[in-house]
Amino acid sequence: MDRPRLTFLSLLLTLVLAAACTAAPEATPPGSTDAESPTPSPAASTSAAPFPVELTDDAGRELTIAAEPMRIVSLAPSNTEIVCALDACDRLVGVTDFDDYPAEVADVPDVVIAASVDVELVVGAEPDLVLAAGNELTPTAVIEQLDGLGLPVLVLYPETLDEVYADIQLIGAALGRRPAAAELVTSMEARVADVVTAVEGAERPLTLYEVFHAEGTTYTAGEGSFLASLLELAGAIPLVGDAQGVIDAESLVAADPELILLGTASYDPSLAEPEAALETVRARAGWADLAAVRDAAVVPYLDDITTTRPGPRIVDGLEALARAIHPDRFE
Amino acid sequence: MSATTAVRRVTFGPSPGRTTLTLGLGAVLVVVAATAAVLAGTSGIGIGDAVAIVVHRLTGIGPVTWPSSAETIVWELRLPRVLAGMVVGAGLACAGAVFQALLRNPLADPYIIGPAAGASLGAVAALLLPVTLAGWLGLGLVQLLAFVGGLAAVAVVFTVARGRGGTPVVTLLLAGYAISSLLSAAVAVMIFNAGERLGAVISWLLGSLAGASWARVGFAAPLIIISFTLLLLRWRRLNALLLGEAQAAHIGLDVEREKRILVALAALATSAGVAISGTIGFVGLVVPHLVRLAAGPDHRLLLPASMLYGAALLVLADLGARMAGGIPVGVVTALIGAPFFLWLLRRSIAGGWVSR
Amino acid sequence: MTGTAIRLDRVEAGYRGAGGERRVLNGLDLTVDRGEMVALLGANGSGKTTLLNVMAGTIRPSAGAIELFGRPLASWSRGEIARSVAVLPQSLELPAGFRVAEVVAMGRTAHGARWFGWTPGDLRAVEDALRDADAADLADRPVTELSGGERQRVLVALALAQEPSLLLLDEPTTHLDIAHAAWLLASVARLRQLRGLTAVMVLHDLVLASAWSPRIAVLHAGHIVADGPPEEALRADIVRDAYGVAVETVVTDAGRRLVVPHVPASASEHASGPGSSSSVG
Repeated sequence: MDRPRLTFLSLLLTLVLAAACTAAPEATPPGSTDAESPTPSPAASTSAAPFPVELTDDAGRELTIAAEPMRIVSLAPSNTEIVCALDACDRLVGVTDFDDYPAEVADVPDVVIAASVDVELVVGAEPDLVLAAGNELTPTAVIEQLDGLGLPVLVLYPETLDEVYADIQLIGAALGRRPAAAELVTSMEARVADVVTAVEGAERPLTLYEVFHAEGTTYTAGEGSFLASLLELAGAIPLVGDAQGVIDAESLVAADPELILLGTASYDPSLAEPEAALETVRARAGWADLAAVRDAAVVPYLDDITTTRPGPRIVDGLEALARAIHPDRFE
Repeated sequence: MSATTAVRRVTFGPSPGRTTLTLGLGAVLVVVAATAAVLAGTSGIGIGDAVAIVVHRLTGIGPVTWPSSAETIVWELRLPRVLAGMVVGAGLACAGAVFQALLRNPLADPYIIGPAAGASLGAVAALLLPVTLAGWLGLGLVQLLAFVGGLAAVAVVFTVARGRGGTPVVTLLLAGYAISSLLSAAVAVMIFNAGERLGAVISWLLGSLAGASWARVGFAAPLIIISFTLLLLRWRRLNALLLGEAQAAHIGLDVEREKRILVALAALATSAGVAISGTIGFVGLVVPHLVRLAAGPDHRLLLPASMLYGAALLVLADLGARMAGGIPVGVVTALIGAPFFLWLLRRSIAGGWVSR
Repeated sequence: MTGTAIRLDRVEAGYRGAGGERRVLNGLDLTVDRGEMVALLGANGSGKTTLLNVMAGTIRPSAGAIELFGRPLASWSRGEIARSVAVLPQSLELPAGFRVAEVVAMGRTAHGARWFGWTPGDLRAVEDALRDADAADLADRPVTELSGGERQRVLVALALAQEPSLLLLDEPTTHLDIAHAAWLLASVARLRQLRGLTAVMVLHDLVLASAWSPRIAVLHAGHIVADGPPEEALRADIVRDAYGVAVETVVTDAGRRLVVPHVPASASEHASGPGSSSSVG
């Protein structure tokens, strides 16, 4: 089932459930999208007066932003990139130590260190908007604590390209930069369409995208995951693991992928050279007989960051994927 | 020397000098630790400002010369966290002392008959359930289920261990171990299925004061203070238990009833502490031993002193945890506590526990 | 002082063991008047300690009636019992870190009225207890630094601190050498005079019992099979049934009658059975 239909069905289900159980405790599944429609419709605002604006974020939380935020704290690199893509980079007063793009953010103080949010530093930065990440990437306890301290928090967790567009527009609405957001989304959509056109008609190889590998267990795109959908757009058939993206050696051998993209090569220099990577991979138990290994179709993939960071550069990642899968289509 | 003068000199209990020294030093340590912890943090707030903020909040005195973010940091973040550390550290140390007397076992800690395992089950279940409680009493579902889970586990252990003639200490220990193992297995299964909530689960299990709020302190503090007060009033009976249950009964203790009451009070303090801070280890085990080494086993002094030194220890450990990059405080107490415990063993604490 | 200290009437008591219920005391009758001294004798496993614990109220009988100082024992609370009855155990591990006077003061637990300290009455009771137990010079000593005999004195003081009217002693001479054993028995007799105590002492040694106690009760098969002065209670046939050992009565120069086990005079008379010794004195 594809994403839009799933979203619609879950919306319907939620409406039915909400109507039926009026006395049920508040249900806030972390990172759920059932309360979000593809295009958030901010109420009580016109294009002439962008504030105050009422928004619903990816965790279903409703937030009213009274005035244009001038001090923004971002708790995830993807959020930071969106803010900068909307030309509001100078308003950032707090970012994470993983933020590496664009170059200006290096000067912004870190409020998240080693994936741990320092609430004191967040408060000390005196933000009027905090952009958090969903699905426990920013722990729920921290979000609740920030809420309790009266800070406006938007939680973002896009799981599809459409949701990335929606989040860009959500942040655009929050910053009063709606036109810029719409433009960015349009240009992203156009580039995606170009990729789809470029790989149209090409044979789609069964592709394993290796996110991580240890001790006979491989982490790849999870079933129905964002990564899987990108691989499909890039003209491949993704070999998917379970909901967490885990695939064991036996299932892997049975599936027999034709192409292996080593996302791990983005972080492990020993896999950066094609020959060395092929040897390493061949040495793994059972991997030597995979079609991809026999045909030497093992590609060190160095653009993992853009492929897995759900921000404006996700399209760069999609393009990199398409080039890796169908190099002949991109000269 | 006549009996009269000798006895009067001994005055049945820790000498006033020793009492003053022990409690005084403990109080000073707590104040110093708390002050340092409120003044220190990752945001650079000056000492003068921090003090002025506290004074202003308490008395309304003073022109406000600091940014409101500084006030939020000091009053809403640091102060509740320090108070939580004091309350939980005191409660765990006090409960540990009581369990060590009750079970006559130097390796006893507040978790020995199950409250940690029970609270963990409650908390992890709450963390994994897609349900949130809209702040009942200012607490989340995690705190409430942890509190209830801790008490329930102790109740189960006590019921399981109860026999015809009472609840023998050995049976209590074994039942505690068995029930804890069972509950821990359930927690392990949940950990395995935690998915993206794994980080939150591990953080809670390691123990952390990071989420401390005035509401949580307000929940745990009264429970721990009440428990401590009622326990302190039973100092005679706690001392008598050190003679062994048989002789304690002969000198007038209703031993079974006493065990029930002591277990209930100590479990209350432990569960209240664990509910707001997760399962922080070693404080309840090491502090009573150290205090006993310095101040003797008389519970009149042991209990209040354990409270003070437990509070100071946890506040200092949390300060260290904060400065070391926000690691869970349970990691720091383990790093401090384990070597201390080895040192205690080497001093033959176990051997010097009783005279033969 | 007259009156009954403790009366047991057809008392049955036992425990549930691995093989089912074990009746230790079976239809036991015993009456001890105020001020008496009674030695309780019986073979190992005959239930002497159970009887003592039943008298102290720490084991509840399954049948029969017990009256303590005129009131049913079941109506006494633990604290009330402790203010009237003290038990001197065979041995006791004393908790390290306390001094003798502090441990003796624990005997005042049932009397303790003040929240954080002891009343002047408590203080006096402890002083008297230490003095009467010949332990006054030990008041300041850490309990870990006591010799065996000194520890016994401290235990006596602990019992006396309760200001009991009835003193129950559980084989108090077991771990003592002859000098200390003699001291203990003499002390109990002295304390009986001094404080008007009633004393019931479980002893394992027939010789000591017959030397010390004017009244001996022999426990066998769950009840008292003999009760009276040593020459009556320790008749040879009674002792043979209860202990399975032969005895003879010896009259000392001072006219006291002692009961001693019959020890074979030479190796050729080697008898099998408990208590026999193959070394000739």
